[in-house]
Amino acid sequence: MAWEYSEKTVQLFMDAVHGKPGTHMGEIENPDGLGEHGSIVCGDALRFTFRVERHPTDPRLDRIVAARYLTFGCTSAIASSEALCAIIEEGRYTPIEALKITNEDIVKYLGGLPTQKIHCSVMGAEALEAAVFNWAQRRGVDLEKEGVRLSMKDENEGRIVCKCFSVSEPYLRRKIRELNLRSIPEITHALKAGGACQSCHHAPGGLQDLLDEIWGRAAGEPVSAAASPEPPAAGEPLSPYQLMKRIERAIEERVRPALQSDGGDLEIVDIKERLVYCRLKGACAGCAGSAMTLKMMVERVLKEEVDERIRVIAV
Amino acid sequence: MKLIYLDNNATTAVAPEAAAAMQPFLADQYFNPSSMYAAAARVARAIKDARRDVAALIGAEPDRLFFTGCATESNNWAIFGAARARPERRHIVTSAVEHPAVRETCRELGRLGYEITEVPVDREGRLDMNAYVRALRPDTLLVTLMHANNETGVIFPIEGLSRIAKETDPGILFHTDATQSVGKIPIDLAGNFRHVDMLSFSGHKLHAPKGVGALYVRRGAPLRPFLIGGHQEGGQRAGTENVPHIVAFGVAAQLAKRHLDDESAIRSKRDRLQAELARRIPMMEINGGGAPRLPNTLNLAVHFVEGEAMLYQLDAHGICASSGSACTSGSLEPSHVLTAMNVPFTARHGSIRFSLSRFTTDEEIDYTIETFPRIVEALRRICPYWDVARNVPRPDAARNAGAVAVG
Repeated sequence: MAWEYSEKTVQLFMDAVHGKPGTHMGEIENPDGLGEHGSIVCGDALRFTFRVERHPTDPRLDRIVAARYLTFGCTSAIASSEALCAIIEEGRYTPIEALKITNEDIVKYLGGLPTQKIHCSVMGAEALEAAVFNWAQRRGVDLEKEGVRLSMKDENEGRIVCKCFSVSEPYLRRKIRELNLRSIPEITHALKAGGACQSCHHAPGGLQDLLDEIWGRAAGEPVSAAASPEPPAAGEPLSPYQLMKRIERAIEERVRPALQSDGGDLEIVDIKERLVYCRLKGACAGCAGSAMTLKMMVERVLKEEVDERIRVIAV
Repeated sequence: MKLIYLDNNATTAVAPEAAAAMQPFLADQYFNPSSMYAAAARVARAIKDARRDVAALIGAEPDRLFFTGCATESNNWAIFGAARARPERRHIVTSAVEHPAVRETCRELGRLGYEITEVPVDREGRLDMNAYVRALRPDTLLVTLMHANNETGVIFPIEGLSRIAKETDPGILFHTDATQSVGKIPIDLAGNFRHVDMLSFSGHKLHAPKGVGALYVRRGAPLRPFLIGGHQEGGQRAGTENVPHIVAFGVAAQLAKRHLDDESAIRSKRDRLQAELARRIPMMEINGGGAPRLPNTLNLAVHFVEGEAMLYQLDAHGICASSGSACTSGSLEPSHVLTAMNVPFTARHGSIRFSLSRFTTDEEIDYTIETFPRIVEALRRICPYWDVARNVPRPDAARNAGAVAVG
């Protein structure tokens, strides 16, 4: 928990958890706008709802009068949600005006966020955008006519670049430009993309390729990170098939019937040349003499029947 | 507010006896133990006593126990030292749930061309024995498997695992990271651990101060030194000895040996905490609850609540614990241990680890039983996936849980 949160962040979080009056935790029933962002797999998710005071004639002039959130996430995710709602309610914005609220406004309201936590504020801005889109649909406002470009719908259908956090290419392209992200760590801190398995960092069409395409390749930058050398081909010597078959047959014919007559059984876990790995089962498994049974009975039979160099190993 | 310390797998309180024992060596007993006068010889004698006491805790010959700076150094030494001693072998077997000190060190050798097999675990955190057996090969250099997991406390059957490795090929080196288990459960390198070649641990997990660890190396085991450039530690670990901490380690080891019998008292406190929390909190997993476990560790996964938020609330109530949640790690990935165990995705970010010590009291357990369920309840009230009125997940939770953005 070595995060260094501002006092404001901690205070907003604590107030929300204690359900202090004046906080915005909750959900508006029959909202005028509803937007969600994130997912439980990624570790944080936000459901954002707002209500407007409807303008009698022109829905474009609706004013947001109440905003609420439900958030699954860490301290800063909850504080960012609280900040988003507070900023909106204080401003009495129209939904279209509210779109001008950016993640930076949220960070400013919180008095700063640790770099690795910037994605918490981005989540707030994204949920807001989704909610405004939802409001526009309900109220029959054509956002494109208003000069607003909301491309989320297409973005969700684009090629997924970061599979761990399901981040699509169109979304990445827009956000890299909008937030002026210049490196892979910056992308990860803001959007989480590339933060888990990292396989999308330098894959074809991956994060570095997108950065290069959008900003141009910076001089002096390596063409690609040194890929780890392929591990040498496994020089696994194949256990002679004949030997293995004979071991199996001896166990089928001589060992199993004897064990089964005592209510037990034997599982062959693996055969590596002349090493036979077995596990006793049934009544034999818990038997105090099970290790002895394997050594004296199973190993002896295999030595006699197949090869005297065989050794049995209990698993 | 009195602090309730339930994070003993992270570090432990220094035992007062250990703190007192090191004082003279921070004051007038400052001599270099390698020097040639009587005052220095007394310091050397103190190290020798400490080595005897620490070795006795694990049933080792004292001259096979080497002091290091920490368990991470011991793990690095064991793995790199084995690779340097046996360059013709190029394969390492480890598990998917090792501490980063082992996991990342193995992966570093992987980048140098070694082949690394990470054996998986099951839902309870138990090692897949069949996969382990199949992983062993004629060119296997080293098997490195932890004794007890730091996050879940799940214990691997080192006795059988080391025997199988040695019966397969006595040339395979067997190393175990026993940082979490030494001092908590009995270990005997002359008995149940007789097939183990190398064993790492540290002082600060057993009530010695931070800054001292140890590596046991069985006589005859091929291992190159890691720190080179001095005759200290029999030439195996160069560098002037950290005398005060080694002395404290010795005292702490003596105490730990004496307190090994407290195991059942700690276990009953842990079991009570587990049972009472399970009774009060719906939809909660006990990670590793079905496997053999350290007596002091309780790892929970609370569905639909995020771990860091719980830690912050626990801290506000004076309770220190840990979480494997992504938000606490600096990375965005939740604990690799819980991921390897396939903990459900609705709970993977909601893990909390309580780890007790012999200093944990019944009152502290009572207070935690009282407090933690209320924290979970408060955070579920904020959660978009939880139906507060009925205290169950919302019916649409599973569907929405996977959604990335819904217009």
